[in-house]
Amino acid sequence: MRVGYFESIKRKKRMVGLLGNIILSIFALISLAPIVYMVCASLMRHEQIATSQLGIPNRFHNYIEVWENLPLASYFGNSLVVCSVVTIVALVIATLSGYALAKYKFPGSGIIGIIVLATQMLPGMMFLLPLYMNFVNIQNTTGFKMTETLHGLIFIYSAFYVPFSIWIIRGFFASIPGELEEAARIDGCNKFSAFYRVMLPLAVPGIIATAVYIFLMAWDELLFAWVLGVQTVPVGIRNFIGFTQARYDLLLTAGTVVTLPVLVAFFSLQKYFISGMTAGAVKG
Amino acid sequence: MNIQIKKSGIGVKGKKGTQSYFWYSVKQNKFAYFMILPAIISMLIIHFLPMIQGIYISFINLNMANMRKFLKAPFIGLKNYYDLFFGGLNSGFGDALINTFIYTVSVTFFTLALGICLAMLLNREFKLQGIARTVLLMPWVIPSYVVGIVWEKLWRKEGLINAVLSWLHIIGPDKADWPFWLVGPLTLVAIIIPTIWRGLPMSMILMLAGLQSVSPDYYEAAEIDGANGWQKFWSITLPLLKPILSINIMFSLINNIYSYNIVSMMFGNGAGQPGKWGDLLMTNIQRNSFQLWQFGQGAAALVICMLFMLVIVGFWYLIFKDDLVVK
Repeated sequence: MRVGYFESIKRKKRMVGLLGNIILSIFALISLAPIVYMVCASLMRHEQIATSQLGIPNRFHNYIEVWENLPLASYFGNSLVVCSVVTIVALVIATLSGYALAKYKFPGSGIIGIIVLATQMLPGMMFLLPLYMNFVNIQNTTGFKMTETLHGLIFIYSAFYVPFSIWIIRGFFASIPGELEEAARIDGCNKFSAFYRVMLPLAVPGIIATAVYIFLMAWDELLFAWVLGVQTVPVGIRNFIGFTQARYDLLLTAGTVVTLPVLVAFFSLQKYFISGMTAGAVKG
Repeated sequence: MNIQIKKSGIGVKGKKGTQSYFWYSVKQNKFAYFMILPAIISMLIIHFLPMIQGIYISFINLNMANMRKFLKAPFIGLKNYYDLFFGGLNSGFGDALINTFIYTVSVTFFTLALGICLAMLLNREFKLQGIARTVLLMPWVIPSYVVGIVWEKLWRKEGLINAVLSWLHIIGPDKADWPFWLVGPLTLVAIIIPTIWRGLPMSMILMLAGLQSVSPDYYEAAEIDGANGWQKFWSITLPLLKPILSINIMFSLINNIYSYNIVSMMFGNGAGQPGKWGDLLMTNIQRNSFQLWQFGQGAAALVICMLFMLVIVGFWYLIFKDDLVVK
């Protein structure tokens, strides 16, 4: 009797586990299907994609054609310059203030913490619209070109990603025990060298995670670049839609090409990706 | 005697006393102020000043014609706000507002609910656990502008989704009867599902991190007390996940109310505008401001967004107040 009871529990557990695996597989299929579709369709003809008469993906010529039709190299170059510079600038600013906010309690630190979060609640357009007008105004009065230039976009992005980065980095610094800093001070470090020599090396994993996060956000940003008319990858792809109404194959090829670097980065830096994703929320 | 013990010493309470304490601690923390100075300056230039300007622009008649005047354009009071809802021929702001509401609520609900389910399924011992997690994370890696392109092709009338639905016998085999996903009310579904598809990994991984921090002792105790799976979920998992859930909800609300990329890419240049059923606030405002050059109306719409967000954050804070203090 007792044996049968345990048997039935065991069987029930196995059934639940099986059901869970089936649900997971369905979701895994849904997650993968559009990606596989994109890659396969990029190797087919337009007519096959348009009518869903999917054939064997063997048309590698699409990849040559897309490089001929779309200045992808220059888009990649622009995006790479913008994202790298932005990542460095935003990271430096955010690390300094993230450390100050995590380890010091000073008059105004609470309010600044709230303001940092509040900026995230506002629509990006709220800043973009007046900034665009300001840029046009600067151009008209001083002749210094701000729109349609990389430095204009870098200027906006670097400041725009600072608050959220501060929030993430603050969490990482807060998780490092303050005693280490005190010990460094007693051993003769001043405040800055205690930060630079002791705390900063300890926070490197968090800083890398934040860097990955900023880079991805900037890589994925369409609205600002589109309005300012800077030819980054998203803007280039968006312009390409208009030209390729009759060439779905080329559009999906372009999509595959621009996804590839991100996928490679994801598989090589997966650990940092995930800690960057969770850091802000878990340690908040 | 009115003596109060402060954190770093004893100060005498009273106007003069506290003031000198204030300046004392400001001087003590010169280093910290020096460290946050760059962030303060950048936030002033990029966030604070433009916001003030934006609020002012919502009260002036700033459009293509007098763009050069910028802030010296004529002051017209609340006319921009009135035009948004009643006057504008091509604003479509009301539709966008309703669509954004439905879109945000459904995307937030489904990403969180499915995220918890998937996280619980992943938080078990089973073979291929690592691979399952990586595969489920993949959609998050796809750039959102590519998500828009791919799903637009999938949703086409003769696209893969209709083909699969017909293969599953959910819709008829006749291609002429297949539904249009990108025209009419179905558009909303066609923009909600890709957004869930891409947002799910994020919420899943956050929930997973939350679940892994829950001690298994709770579940053991509950099992000894005879709780079934459902009870364990409602009385242990959910309450312990609440802090992460609260922040996840906020993230999701912000991301989706200000969602732009996917819709914008699905209805790119060629297909024109998303139309009545697929327009969201950000695409609407972007079009009104930078294609029709109605900056005043755009700014007014943004101010309304801001006020809505303020209300939402207020409610959110009231609901999750207790979960935020723990940290």
